[in-house]
Order: sequence, then structure tokens, then C-alpha cells
Amino acid sequence: MDKIKIRQICFLFAVMMPVTKMLVYPTTLTYYVKNDLLISAFCNLLIEGVIVGLIMLLAKKTDKSFFSLIEDRFGNLTARIVYAVCALFFFASALLPLAEQKLFVMQVFYENVPSIISFAPFFFVCFFACTKGFKSIGRAADLCLPVFAVSFTVILLLSLPHADFSALLPITAVSPLTIGKGSLFSVNWFTDCFFLLFFLGNFKYEKNASKKVILSFAAGAFFILIFLAVFYGVFADIAIRQQNAIAQLPKYTTAFTSLGRLDYLFLFALTLVMIFYLCVPIQLCVHCICKTFKNCRPTLPSLAVNAAMLGLVILLNRSFNELQTFLTSQAWFVFLIFAYLLPVLALLLPKKILPKYKNKKEKLYE
Amino acid sequence: MNKLWMRIFICGACALLLLFFSNDFGLIDIQETAIVIAIAIDKGEEEGKFDVSAQIAVPAGTGTGTAGNVTVTGASTVGEAITELNHKTGWYPTLVHCKLVLLGEETTRENVFEILDYFLRSELVEDTCLVGVCEGLAKDAFKATSPVKDISSSAISKVLSSEAQKTGLISVTNLKDFAKNYYSVSGGGFLPFIAVKQEAESQGDDQAQKPVFNGKINSEISPVSSEGAKSGEKKSDVFDASRTMLFQNGKGVALLTPDETLAFNMADTPTDYAFGNIEVDEKDGKVVYDLKMKITKKSAQLSFENGKPVFTFRIRAQAKIIDANKSDSILMITQSALVPEQVLNAAEEKFKKELSSAFEKSAAAGCDLFGMKMQLYRFHHKKYNAYKNTILNRVETRYDIRFSALK
Repeated sequence: MDKIKIRQICFLFAVMMPVTKMLVYPTTLTYYVKNDLLISAFCNLLIEGVIVGLIMLLAKKTDKSFFSLIEDRFGNLTARIVYAVCALFFFASALLPLAEQKLFVMQVFYENVPSIISFAPFFFVCFFACTKGFKSIGRAADLCLPVFAVSFTVILLLSLPHADFSALLPITAVSPLTIGKGSLFSVNWFTDCFFLLFFLGNFKYEKNASKKVILSFAAGAFFILIFLAVFYGVFADIAIRQQNAIAQLPKYTTAFTSLGRLDYLFLFALTLVMIFYLCVPIQLCVHCICKTFKNCRPTLPSLAVNAAMLGLVILLNRSFNELQTFLTSQAWFVFLIFAYLLPVLALLLPKKILPKYKNKKEKLYE
Repeated sequence: MNKLWMRIFICGACALLLLFFSNDFGLIDIQETAIVIAIAIDKGEEEGKFDVSAQIAVPAGTGTGTAGNVTVTGASTVGEAITELNHKTGWYPTLVHCKLVLLGEETTRENVFEILDYFLRSELVEDTCLVGVCEGLAKDAFKATSPVKDISSSAISKVLSSEAQKTGLISVTNLKDFAKNYYSVSGGGFLPFIAVKQEAESQGDDQAQKPVFNGKINSEISPVSSEGAKSGEKKSDVFDASRTMLFQNGKGVALLTPDETLAFNMADTPTDYAFGNIEVDEKDGKVVYDLKMKITKKSAQLSFENGKPVFTFRIRAQAKIIDANKSDSILMITQSALVPEQVLNAAEEKFKKELSSAFEKSAAAGCDLFGMKMQLYRFHHKKYNAYKNTILNRVETRYDIRFSALK
């Protein structure tokens, strides 16, 4: 119990969630919705925010884990099957962000294109994180707060003078249908709310916890929106060619002409945050596997999952575009079902209100 | 067991850190790498072909860098020329440090994005690189010898620096901004027009600009600059970029004069401080005042009045006399902040005239220099379809330019 704290969940949403939306997501979104990218992103964030709110409502109603809730309602076997399917989902959902991160590191940080094996150290870090469970997620969130605060602020300040926000006009230049399509086809980047479902029962619901988590999510959403606005303000009609958006934004700072790319220091720092956040779905995948196999020790599942992930990353080394096209424009409904529909259905799982809450309510009415 | 795991982790971490910090053992062999610092592209003799010249930095231990020029003639694309450069010289060209792209005057008769798209496609070229048009052949600019012993591309880059932009004398553009305008609804754009002038004189031997070789790579490799190798006093070149070439849909359509360039910069580019001469009729005859102008406010806004498009330039500037071609009293020299009213009025009149000239020239050439179509699209979207093709000719322009003394 109490493996992760509310504070750490707040940090996870406020500072770790935005970083994975700063590489390929802005370009992809621009491809679909052009200057209306803020509206499309806002729709995604709003839906995700509602799901976060609903899960926190569930956390208020019960202190049981998602596994226990399914087990109580449908039995142990069903719970294990659901967790096995969720493990598969986490595995699949981690694939694209990992491939993005790999491309980012290899294209931005290396002078000449390195071999795929250079990215292997990530899996070592991830393996270690997976064996440590939820505690390591919380600690990483604590660590990432100052790193993100400083790096993101600096990069934003360097980019702001070059941004022309009128590029975002006219609002709704593309049809609502296209905006909807943009939101649907980028839903794979908005599965963060699903993590919260698996944190259930692993944190202590304290006073105002829901408010804190929702506000933190709103802060993270604000950072994403401001980043997208600056991104489109800087690049406007050529935004579509700016892969690795975060690395492209600050390079127009005049001082860098003579000083060199000092912003790389902050990009490295943000990459650290990205690495920690990329571990989260893989950690949850391992968690689900452990639960499926009756709470087995995480070492072997961690090893297997990370080895499989490394193998897939090597296998799909030259197929990033195909992978992205498949996950965004064909498999989007899978993300909808798991990240949005499943948490909503989870609300129906608790059988009764906990006695302590019941007593409180009775007192209130007396 | 815990100790064993710890040891395994430490060994694994060391092995993997080696991978992480080794840059994949992909060190660049400087002996085989051509660090291209600038590229000049001219129209080839054959239709549809290009001559691509690369200025390659030669690292020197003493800190005085030198550079050599290599030209590939008759290439169909810039990409082909770069590949040929590698193929025929054995040098692997790296374009990461390419900070300048020069286009020959002839290339601007066609859509220059047939050439420039290479730099947008390639992840290896930074779109922060400066772009300019050269009077005559662009490759000749690389052969110029700077009076301060700079590498020619480096000297041109200094002329096109952001500091130069701030003074308003030169309209500087980088690849990103030029491409951004080209791909926007406006389709307009501008590039500095660079002329090499043999004006300056330098002394001493020319070690700094001693090219390695130059010429067609598939035919001759010969030393350049017969003058450059001589020691003693010699003529050097300076780069004049005070004119601006206007583009519409990638084609060069007009050329702004230095005064029009200054007025354009004061109205529509990030120019903070501008310097300019004003001629004023006084009792003793015509007096030329050299003014330093601080632009405090500028805007160029499209609006609709009674259904008609109106484009209003608003410039607020504070001026200070730097010099005048007359002897003044010691009081006037000391109180340089006191700018006579007639000088301020003359400045307003002059910039109104030059700005209106720049506007008319661009409109006549069909160039959306001031981003009017972009404003129409963004701020008056409902009227966009009705006016997008005719706005440049139908718009009424208003000039609200006011100068005050710089305190």
C-alpha cells in the first residue's frame, strides 16, 4: 500500500506527461488540422481530463486496486485475463513513443547516424525501473519536477521571441470533422489517464486529492497547449516538416550563432524526463504480467518485456512511418477502448460504498 | 543474491555506458570530411542544370581558418552535386556547418525553391542558414578577398548578421523564414541582394583567404586568386547587401533600392535602430543630416473601411543627429538630442516617400512583401476568397509616420 503518493501522481501529470507530446505529435497534428492544432489537442486533453476525474472519483469511493475490483465482481480468472490484455495494450502503446524517442536521440544528439544498439542502454534503465515497481515511478516524478521546470522554461523563453501567434488564426479554418479526425488519429498520445487506473489501491486517497490531481493534469495540459502554440507560431506553414519539435524550436536564438547550441543542455535534461516517462507504460505492462501470473516476482517479466521491446525496436528500426501510420490512422480505436472506455466501465465495478464513507455520509445527513 | 545482482547491474551499466558515450565509435575522420560552410548555386550552361560551389573549411591549428572552393558543374539537382562532390573528390561533405546559401542572379528567374528544397528535405542542413542572392555569379562571391582577412563566406555572413538587420540597412532572411513565406498563402518573400565591390585595400600577405583549389572538379584543380597569393598592398573586396530582391512564388520579381530597403525594414522587419541620411533645405543651402533612429512602434495593418481594404503603416521613431555636413555651434553639437523640427519633418516625408515607393514597386510586381494576403487570410478570413487575387491593387495605403527627438 501507498507505493506512490498523490504528490507524485500530480508531478507525473504536470511535468512528465507533456514531454512525450513534444517530438512527433505536433507535426502529426499539424498534418491533419494545420493551424487548428490547439482545438484538436484541447479536445483530446478535455476528454482525458474527464477520465482522470472519473478515476479519481473511483479512488474516492474505494481503496481497492483495479485488479481487486474486477476480482470482486467477476472472479480472479477474469481479473487475470483483463490484466493480461492490459499488459498487451501497455506493451503496444509503449512502442511508438519509444520509436519516437529513439529517432530523436539518434537524429538530434549524434553527428552521424549511430547504430540501433546505441539506444540499448534505455532498456537497461527500464529493466531496473520495472523491477522496482510503482515506487520508482513516484521517485522519478519527484526528480523530474525541477528538471522539467527549468528546462521547459528556458526552451520556451528562447523560442517565444520567434513566435507569431497570429499564425494560429483563423480559428476553425478546417472543418470540425477534420479537427475530430485529428483528435482521433492522435489519441495514441493521450493514454496517460489509463495509468491512473492501475495506481488505484496503490496510493492513499487524501483530502482534496481529486482536486490536486485534476489541477496537475490541467497544468500539464496547459504546458502542452502553450508548447503547441509556440511551435506553430514559430513555424506556421512549414510546421509539418519539423520532426523532433522540441529540438527545432530554440535554435533560432541569435546568440547561438556565436555561442553554439547551448539549448542542448536543456534538451538533454528534458530527454531524461522523457526516458523516465517512457518507462511508465513498460513498468505497468510488467505490473500487469505479474498480476496475471499470481503476483510473481518482477525480475523475469521485466527481462522478458524489455528484451521483447528491444527486439521489436530493432525489427522496426526502419519502419517508423509504417508503425506511426498504423497506430495513428488504423489502430486508434484500440486506444479509445482501453484508455477511455475501460476507465468509464471501471466506475461500475465497486459493489458497495466503503463502510467508512457510508458512516461519514450518515453522519452528514443526521 | 542482492550483491550478485548489484554487481551484474554495475557491469551491465558500464558496458552500456560505453555504448552511450562512444557516439557509436562513429568519429568523423577530418581528413576525409569536407566541412561545407557555404554553398553557391548558379544556373548551369545547359538548361535545367546547376553549377554548385561549396566553400569548404580547412581547419588550421593557428586559429586562422582557411577555406577552399569546389565547384560541380552541370548538376541536375543540388543533391546530385553534393553526391558528386563526394564521389569525385573522395571527401565526404558534411553540411551541418553550412551557414550560408548564395543564389546566382540568373537562378532567380525561375522558382528558387527548385533549388532550395534540397536544404528543406535534408535533416542535415540547418534551416537557420542565411540565404542571399548575388549580383552576377554566386560562385564569384566565394573568390572575393575580404579586407579583414576573413573567409569570404564568413565575411558575407557578417554582412548579413542579425546586427545588420537591426540597423535597417540590410534585409536579412534565413532559410526558415524564406520558406515560411513561400509556403504561406502570401507566397511572397525577400532576400538580400549582394554585390561584390572591389573597393577596400588591405596590407600584408593573404594567408587567411588562401583557397585550397578551385575549378571544375572533373577537369582541373588550380590555385585561385593570383592577387591573393601576392604579399604587400592589394585591392580587396567588400560586400554590399543594401538592396533587396523581392520574390513572389519563388521567382525574383523586383529589386528595392537601399533607401527603399531601409524604409521597408523600418516598417516590417525586426529593425530597432536605423541609420539614415536626410537632406534638408536650410538658409545656407542643402544640409545632409545623418540620423540615428530608434523605432519605438511599428505596425502594418490591414483593415476594412466601408467594405474597402485599407493598409495602414504606423511608425513611431525617435531621432538623434549623429552628424551633419555643416559646421554647427558648440551648443548644437553638445545638445544632439535637440533635433530641429524641419529635420524631423523631412525624415517623415522621406520615409513616407520611400515606403510608398517600396509598396508600389512590390504591388506592381505582384509581390506580397508586407504579408497583406496573410493578414487577409488570418484576420479577415470571410473576405479572403473575394480579395485574395486583387488585394494588392485594390488596397488603399495610409502612412502614419511620426518622428520625435530621441531624449
